[in-house]
Amino acid sequence: MTLYLFYFLSFLAVLSALMVVVSKNPVHSVLYLIMTFFAIAGHYVLLNAQFLAAVHVIVYAGAIMVLFLYVIMMLNLNADTEPQKGKWLRVAATVAGGILMVVLVGALRSAADTLPVTAHDNQIGMIKNLGKVLYKDFMLPFEISSILFLVAMVGAVMLGKKEIK
Amino acid sequence: MTEFLFLLKHELILGLILVILLIMKIGSKSMTNSSLISLMNGLLFINFVAGWFLNREGVLFGGMFQNSSLLVFEKNVLSLGTWIICLQSSAWMKNHKHLPEFYMLMISTLMGMFFMLSSGNLLMFYIGLELSTIPLAAMCNFDLEKANSSEAAMKMIMSSAFSSGILLFGISLFYGMTGTFSLGGPSYNFDGSPLQVLAFIMIFSGFAFKLSVVPFHLWTADVYEGSPVAVTSYLSVISKGSMVFVFASVMYTAFRGIASVWYDGLVVLSLVTMIVGNLFALRQNNMKRFLAFSSIAQVGYILIGISGSSESGMASSIYFILIYIFSNLGAFGVISLISAHTGRESVDDYKGMYKTNPMLSWVLALSLFSLAGIPPTAGFFGKMFLLTAGAAKGNYFLITIAALNMIISLYYYLRIIRAVFMDKNENSLPSVQGDFGSRLALICCVVGILITGFAGGLYEYILSLSHGL
Repeated sequence: MTLYLFYFLSFLAVLSALMVVVSKNPVHSVLYLIMTFFAIAGHYVLLNAQFLAAVHVIVYAGAIMVLFLYVIMMLNLNADTEPQKGKWLRVAATVAGGILMVVLVGALRSAADTLPVTAHDNQIGMIKNLGKVLYKDFMLPFEISSILFLVAMVGAVMLGKKEIK
Repeated sequence: MTEFLFLLKHELILGLILVILLIMKIGSKSMTNSSLISLMNGLLFINFVAGWFLNREGVLFGGMFQNSSLLVFEKNVLSLGTWIICLQSSAWMKNHKHLPEFYMLMISTLMGMFFMLSSGNLLMFYIGLELSTIPLAAMCNFDLEKANSSEAAMKMIMSSAFSSGILLFGISLFYGMTGTFSLGGPSYNFDGSPLQVLAFIMIFSGFAFKLSVVPFHLWTADVYEGSPVAVTSYLSVISKGSMVFVFASVMYTAFRGIASVWYDGLVVLSLVTMIVGNLFALRQNNMKRFLAFSSIAQVGYILIGISGSSESGMASSIYFILIYIFSNLGAFGVISLISAHTGRESVDDYKGMYKTNPMLSWVLALSLFSLAGIPPTAGFFGKMFLLTAGAAKGNYFLITIAALNMIISLYYYLRIIRAVFMDKNENSLPSVQGDFGSRLALICCVVGILITGFAGGLYEYILSLSHGL
């Protein structure tokens, strides 16, 4: 059952990710992106990371997508304003992307047997366990990221201040 | 508990300065720019001096944070560079409206670099890296009224976000393969299976972006040109220096197992970096763009040193960065003074500068000689040790190309010196008088250029710190 669900979610994620790139209308792209995020959130649930799934949906599908939509509406993007790339650039990009895919597939295939297997714990994604790990093992990165947010805020406020003359 | 205080000393001092700045910003509005500049210069000097005392070696937070005498030395070098930059850019800072913010961003990037240096863990490394890049992008935009300053910030944040994406992909592949974020320890096995090499290549490209190694260098010149001179010198010296330190130590410790893989990559990249950096530097007419390409070429030489064996490679690259800080900051100090007083930055403006500003001309000439690697200056010894370290692997083709590149670089450094000393110009620069701070900074640089070359014990001291890598 889980396996079928996994295949279904993966198919959905890949398909909608493809549609993000392919579709001409930027608003459609954003909507497909939301679908991709939901499919990935489903993967998190399959991995017993319920809290992460919820946060993922709230933050990405909720907050960040709204920002995306606003930006697209404000810039008024459409197919006409899209910059057209030259023919050779397209060929080069296709070749490079194809080579990257071949390398990735090859590397992953050869590594499939050697990946370390960790003991399965179905309580691992619960918020209580997550909090314990975050404040015990990963306390230093957690604290440093608060400094990062503080100075990012300082920078943003400084840049956002309009000079009134 | 006291162990914690001693090991985290460098970071805690910076955190304290950050808090002082925050409280001052919230509390009073009476502090003028010039008194803030003197206060910060004092605090940064205290930070630099305090870095030498009461240091301990050890590990904290389960291996996430480590400190050793080599790391302490590297951190002190970076503190010194930051202090010199703050001293020499006071003329530009005096009239800026958001000075406390500028210091806050600068201190936090320095703190991020310290955490990045001390990280024994890829997660910690990544957060340190972000803490040292995101505020830098805001700093690039500090000439608020200039459009190309915003452009520089935009390019910086975009390219660094892109490189962070690749780096994160590499880190997640690394985690998938080894099951841990830590770079070392009992369960660490990095033996060079294809997926591990792929993860390594992605992490490597993240480094290469920040170091502006050639296929990843496209952002460098535009960002350097658009940013204020203080930020440009900070980017090219402190930010790059910290990346070189981390890069060298990561290559020799975490990725030691696949040294045969990265050696070839490093050789190719250093060849391309030297050649492209030098050829583009030949035809630049803006001083900041010129120094950007010259710094790309210098990274090529550093990569040769790193490609050598671990101890001499590490020691020679640290030694070179120390010299590079003095020589590049000497050049940037002059450019910064002239830019702040006259707003002129092109090479043509520097023609005939010797007539009006003889002292500044000599400082500029000495710094450029050191960057070019002409014998009495320290730059010669730095490059000599780098090439000696690289030659230990027996790849004389690489060394020959590097030597040829140094001859090319001599041409463009001498072009500037000729413009300054020999060319005639009716519209030459007015006589520029620096304040006490910028003079002190230039004196520090000149003394540094002379002392680091002749103090023979310095290289041995760094080499002794690098033992056990």
